[in-house]
Amino acid sequence: MSRKLNVLLVDDSRTVLAQLERILNEIDDVSIVGMARNGASAIRMATESRPDLVLMDIVMPGLDGLSALRTIKSMYPEMEVAMVSSARGDAQKVEEAFRLGACQVLGKPFDAEIFGALIANTCVVLDQRAADEGGQR
Amino acid sequence: MSVKFFGQFLIDQGEVDASHVREALDLMEDANPTFGEISVKQGFMTTRETVEASAAQRSRDLPFGDMAVELGMLTADQLVEILRLQRSQKLPIGEALVQLGHIETDRLGTLLDAFKADQAEYEVANIDLPDALVNQCATKYILELLPRLLMRVARMQAKVGDVMPFELAPDYADIRVSIPIKGTRGLEVALISDLEFAEQLAMAASGISPKDLDPEMVADGVGEFLNVLSGNAVSAVTKAGHRVELGPPDYEATLSDGWIVELAVGDGHAALVLSVF
Repeated sequence: MSRKLNVLLVDDSRTVLAQLERILNEIDDVSIVGMARNGASAIRMATESRPDLVLMDIVMPGLDGLSALRTIKSMYPEMEVAMVSSARGDAQKVEEAFRLGACQVLGKPFDAEIFGALIANTCVVLDQRAADEGGQR
Repeated sequence: MSVKFFGQFLIDQGEVDASHVREALDLMEDANPTFGEISVKQGFMTTRETVEASAAQRSRDLPFGDMAVELGMLTADQLVEILRLQRSQKLPIGEALVQLGHIETDRLGTLLDAFKADQAEYEVANIDLPDALVNQCATKYILELLPRLLMRVARMQAKVGDVMPFELAPDYADIRVSIPIKGTRGLEVALISDLEFAEQLAMAASGISPKDLDPEMVADGVGEFLNVLSGNAVSAVTKAGHRVELGPPDYEATLSDGWIVELAVGDGHAALVLSVF
């Protein structure tokens, strides 16, 4: 992996945040830049820390994950956002997440290998984007 | 691993990316007939009635079909028939991806077989249930998936006991978390346990050491497990064609009449309490 990937974690459950932190800390070149517990905090922290990747729960109290996804993608279209289907395996919510620009919707319980693939894929996307932008200059 | 839909599986496998799934969803939306279109084609409703039912949805949050039944435009049998036709006429996402050229036609079968194998863990057998729970499709998934998910999430072994009438909360029930599963008939699923089981589950799920665990985290660990369990059950039920959805968890659940299923667990005590509403 050629780059350090900055990741923002968003989930109302402290258990899930701890779990995600543990899994991601085992992946090389990943830096967790913040943890938020609702959609409004996620938007604020995304603005402040400009992560490469946001990992965000779909269902949260207050501003939920899909609303936050819509806002984040409208403000920062280049920011990659993967949603965590927080057990609410609702086909409509999964479809809506993709329509709003999510790069993946991960289910629970988590599979550490899937996170490795997600991080690798995100790096490929970002490297490709950087190369495209370099070519246009 | 979790219950997932085919599009998610294909992204996990690196076969397609999210933009391909979005294209396929758009194609499916264009290709799949709406409930109203089918009801008119079947002669169950007039075009004017579909417009009226749609307008009525603006003031009440009800699915189109339910609204049409409530307004006397459809019978319950017609509603079931239209939903069946809608399911049978739906363009599957795999076919949509083939039509768009993102998956080779001859590769689709292999990928569907791989998806089926991936999801085999979530197939459940029929189990004996009290009459009132037989039609609660989520119940069998909850009971069958619980030991598998407990092992996967927390490496904890559990054996599910018999479904018994619930009379009184066991005296060990320090933690009481419940989640409603809403459908044609609702099911309230509560996970109750003592602190020993709850702490073990919270530690295993989060990776946090015992000294860093606080009471909120302990309850959260149990609630999150119940969330995962119920969510996977709901996904499985949804994939089987039923309409159900989860409500938010209640961390101070009031246990009402229903059934109790004791869990034989290594650490502490735990049980599920199921009630219909």
